[in-house]
Amino acid sequence: MHHSARPLLAVLSLGVALSAAACKPSQSGEVRIAYVSNGVDPFWDVAAAGARAAEAEFGVDVEVVFPSPATAEVQQQKVQDLLVRGIDAVAISPVDAENMTPFLDTLTERVHLITQDSDAPKSKRRCFIGVDNYEAGRACGELLVEALPDGGEVAIFVGRLEQDNARLRRQGVIDALLGRTPDATRSDAVDAALAGNGFTIVATRTDDFDAARAKSNVEDTLVKYPELAGVAGLFAYNAPACVEALKGAGRLGEVAIASFDEQDATLDGIEAGHVLGTVSQNPFQYGYESVRILKALCEGDESVLPEGGTLSTPPTVVKKDNLEVFRAKLKADIAAGSGK
Amino acid sequence: MTDSTGAREVQVDGSSRLAGWGKVLGIFGLLVAIVVTTGAMNPRFFGAENLENVLQRTALFGIIGIGAAFPIVTAGIDLSIGSVIALVATSLPLLLDAGVPAGAAVVAVLLLAAGLGVIHGLLITRMGLQPFVVTLCGLLVYRGVARYIVDDQTMGFGSDHDGLRSLATGRPFSIGALDVPAPALVLVAVAVLAAVFLGRSVWGRWMLALGRNATAARYAGVPVERVTILAYVICSLLAGVGGVLFALDVNSVQPASMGNFYELYAIAAAVLGGCSLRGGEGSILGVVLGAAVMRLLYNSIVLLGIPSQLEFAIVGGVLLLGAVADEVVRRLAEARRARERARARTERTT
Repeated sequence: MHHSARPLLAVLSLGVALSAAACKPSQSGEVRIAYVSNGVDPFWDVAAAGARAAEAEFGVDVEVVFPSPATAEVQQQKVQDLLVRGIDAVAISPVDAENMTPFLDTLTERVHLITQDSDAPKSKRRCFIGVDNYEAGRACGELLVEALPDGGEVAIFVGRLEQDNARLRRQGVIDALLGRTPDATRSDAVDAALAGNGFTIVATRTDDFDAARAKSNVEDTLVKYPELAGVAGLFAYNAPACVEALKGAGRLGEVAIASFDEQDATLDGIEAGHVLGTVSQNPFQYGYESVRILKALCEGDESVLPEGGTLSTPPTVVKKDNLEVFRAKLKADIAAGSGK
Repeated sequence: MTDSTGAREVQVDGSSRLAGWGKVLGIFGLLVAIVVTTGAMNPRFFGAENLENVLQRTALFGIIGIGAAFPIVTAGIDLSIGSVIALVATSLPLLLDAGVPAGAAVVAVLLLAAGLGVIHGLLITRMGLQPFVVTLCGLLVYRGVARYIVDDQTMGFGSDHDGLRSLATGRPFSIGALDVPAPALVLVAVAVLAAVFLGRSVWGRWMLALGRNATAARYAGVPVERVTILAYVICSLLAGVGGVLFALDVNSVQPASMGNFYELYAIAAAVLGGCSLRGGEGSILGVVLGAAVMRLLYNSIVLLGIPSQLEFAIVGGVLLLGAVADEVVRRLAEARRARERARARTERTT
């Protein structure tokens, strides 16, 4: 008897749980926009704040989705589920630009689609909003060039290299260090021997978003290359991991750190003089502009589409001298997003 | 009653402990092989700094590996370790931010972890659910709760809790040029306690007996339910200790990714170290060596400049080679023993 009751009970409790979890009643009539990140990170919290600020300003309904684990499958499934729930437009940062292109193209048949943060240039997305990651990478590399006039050995740390933005940033850093002419289409293999302009790129290490691995990669690289002069952390948590590893090795200040994004630990590191500076992509604008453009597209207004299909938000290089201004703006942005 | 059970277990232990030592020697051989190869190809491997790094990581993963060994010894499994780590690692900075004193916060999160173990144990014994199901649900639930309570924010300790952080980053004393990492001391303490518990205490023997044959253990008067619950409590508690140390060590806790797949590293360390997934067999020293082998492999991949992309292939390949070599040696030894027995028999008959 109670064997047959068990599944019923399970279904019932699942139903209760689901209806309790459904936070927002559907607001019919409003344009519904999905804002999809490529993972979970404080970076995305700032971007989401931008989307939320625009949600309030433009009177639309925004669903913010952080896929976790940050894989292409999970991201795809989340979007498919949202389609079933009924959405009008999607702004996405594709985890895997190349291979998700066919999926993105099928999406364009049903919703208005734009990419943001990381592009899928071969897809039929209406436009891309983001920083020019190659130029941002060069700006990150310039921080090291400036701090290390005699050059030296540099290692690069990044979560993963499948993403368009990671590849472009890495190439930008390398090209700036080696003093090459800018060419975003260049692509150096991970194990290629790269030297020039006094600099040698000794390694590029990936950690698959595992914070402990990010730190141990830096520690092991410090052991392998005792002469290491500089490191570049291409994802938000990489520079904080570099700071922790150098601190543990008692070599804080001996190895120059160039960073991306604006984690608290990175900004603290800049303040303390342990981090040269960081390249901020202005994620608030990603969220805000995505919602603004998608809302207009949903209403048939194509004039919002940027020239050439790319809306470049300029990267901000944050160093000690502009740190306080930057922090104040960041705080105001986040407050604007949580106002709703 | 209790005494006679104990006595019988000691007898059964004799043979299985021998088999256990074989496995421990096997994993030790693999460890030596990796150390010698890496050291020969890059002498910096033997530098104090690198040995400290490897010790530190072995300690962190060894602690959760020892935890994983207990359910395995009872023929169960705990898949929730990585998520318990995430929940503990996010709760600790949350409590500290709320103004809870460091000592109380650590005790609170460890109690939380132990409480989760009690829930696992009760669901497995009282409800009769499979350990795999219970702890798989735990893996999902705790990850979700961890992400929810901090709204996916990255948690950290900033630079306000350097005293507490020295539990994970401290180097309390030196042996020659080697500054011994604090977690290594925690590992030694945990390992000694666990080894004495498993090998010398009545409860430890009950645990092994339960893993070997649950029905027989029940008939022999082993309090099966309480022993099972204890195994899951130890596992979750040690996952909690690991969670605290991991969080203090990296100082950046991303609830969505913290401790992802660490249950597999913990279980792998336990099984490599000689714990049979069928239960009833396990060596704490082996688990520590198993954890060390995994960490050494990741370390040598960077030190030898092998591309990140090959990492998993190298780790999997070396572990498989080790397992095959272990099995071949075991079979050769068995064949030799069989030959000797046969010769002894023929000598006796002639």
